[in-house]
Amino acid sequence: MSNRILVWDLPLRVFHWVLAASFAGAFLTAESERVRDLHLLCGYTFVGAIAFRLLWGFVGTRHARFSALRFGPGASRRYLLSLLRGRPDRHLGHNPPGAVMIPLLLGLGLAIAASGWAVYADAGGEWLAEAHEIAATVMLVAVAGHVLGVMAVSVLQRENLVLPLVTGRKRGAPGEGIRSSRPLAALLLLIALAGLWLPGIAARERRLAASAQSASIAAAGEPATVRTGHMD
Amino acid sequence: MRSTILVAAAFALGVAAARAETPADFEAAFAAEARRADPAFAGFSAARGQQFFGSTHGGDWSCVSCHTKDPSAVGEHVVTGKRIEPLAPAANPKRFSDPASVEKWFKRNCNDVLKRLCTAQEKGDVLAWLMMPGAGGGR
Repeated sequence: MSNRILVWDLPLRVFHWVLAASFAGAFLTAESERVRDLHLLCGYTFVGAIAFRLLWGFVGTRHARFSALRFGPGASRRYLLSLLRGRPDRHLGHNPPGAVMIPLLLGLGLAIAASGWAVYADAGGEWLAEAHEIAATVMLVAVAGHVLGVMAVSVLQRENLVLPLVTGRKRGAPGEGIRSSRPLAALLLLIALAGLWLPGIAARERRLAASAQSASIAAAGEPATVRTGHMD
Repeated sequence: MRSTILVAAAFALGVAAARAETPADFEAAFAAEARRADPAFAGFSAARGQQFFGSTHGGDWSCVSCHTKDPSAVGEHVVTGKRIEPLAPAANPKRFSDPASVEKWFKRNCNDVLKRLCTAQEKGDVLAWLMMPGAGGGR
């Protein structure tokens, strides 16, 4: 049991941290028009990561597949009771509450992406922006629950659950692991990310430079003449 | 007694603000708020509003950066390039029709341009300018 075996494939690890980073980035860029383009890039990254995960749930490695998830209420109850008794029922892949997070976060994420796209496309009224914010806030609460849960289980189970999401490795019997970390799929994921962000940042630089130039022309060209309007 | 009147007045103001549906409603609500902030409030000025709209307030952006100098014109977002519908109510009847939207965009855009919230006086001045005859198109 003391062997370190490969459990989480590389694309799954990249997905996890890309999803986390794009969600955090979208929150940080939510309130200002100065970074609206970065918010959009975070949103596209976020929805792209979710699309990848939906695919990977069917074609990914053993522990990444949706068919490996056990998240029924019975499974979660048994697992939580085992934690409370001090004899954690260890899962090599997703534990039952962790498995619950997958449909929850992916579903909320799709709702956030759809409402965000609708806001940007002016597809409806201000209520869409409200819906977008509410869905994002609900996801923030779910993420907080997820992080607290991981910390609690890491302590109760005396096992760092975060580190394997970087290294891919956990303690386990050799037969239970996965053979390949699927580096090619991870590389394609990173190429897609670069294909989104590099032109996105270049376009941002171009637009900001153009606006600075037109602002300086306006400042040099004409004194700030004020048309006399009537006094209300 | 006095506090009761104040509470009633504040409530009435709140109701008036909540029911604001036309540019004139918003102007009245901004005027009431400006009067509360400064008893010497002497009305809004379209000229001051226009100047405010074009000023960068010591920063790099002004309202004009995205909305253009002409309130009846279609603007363009500085960083996304997205089309921005005209601000003048006469050119775009959707403007100043929804309190939640007006509050949200003044808050966000004032923070982006001035790094603070706008006062009721400033908002009223700008609105007075946007409502000026001729601001609404046909030019």
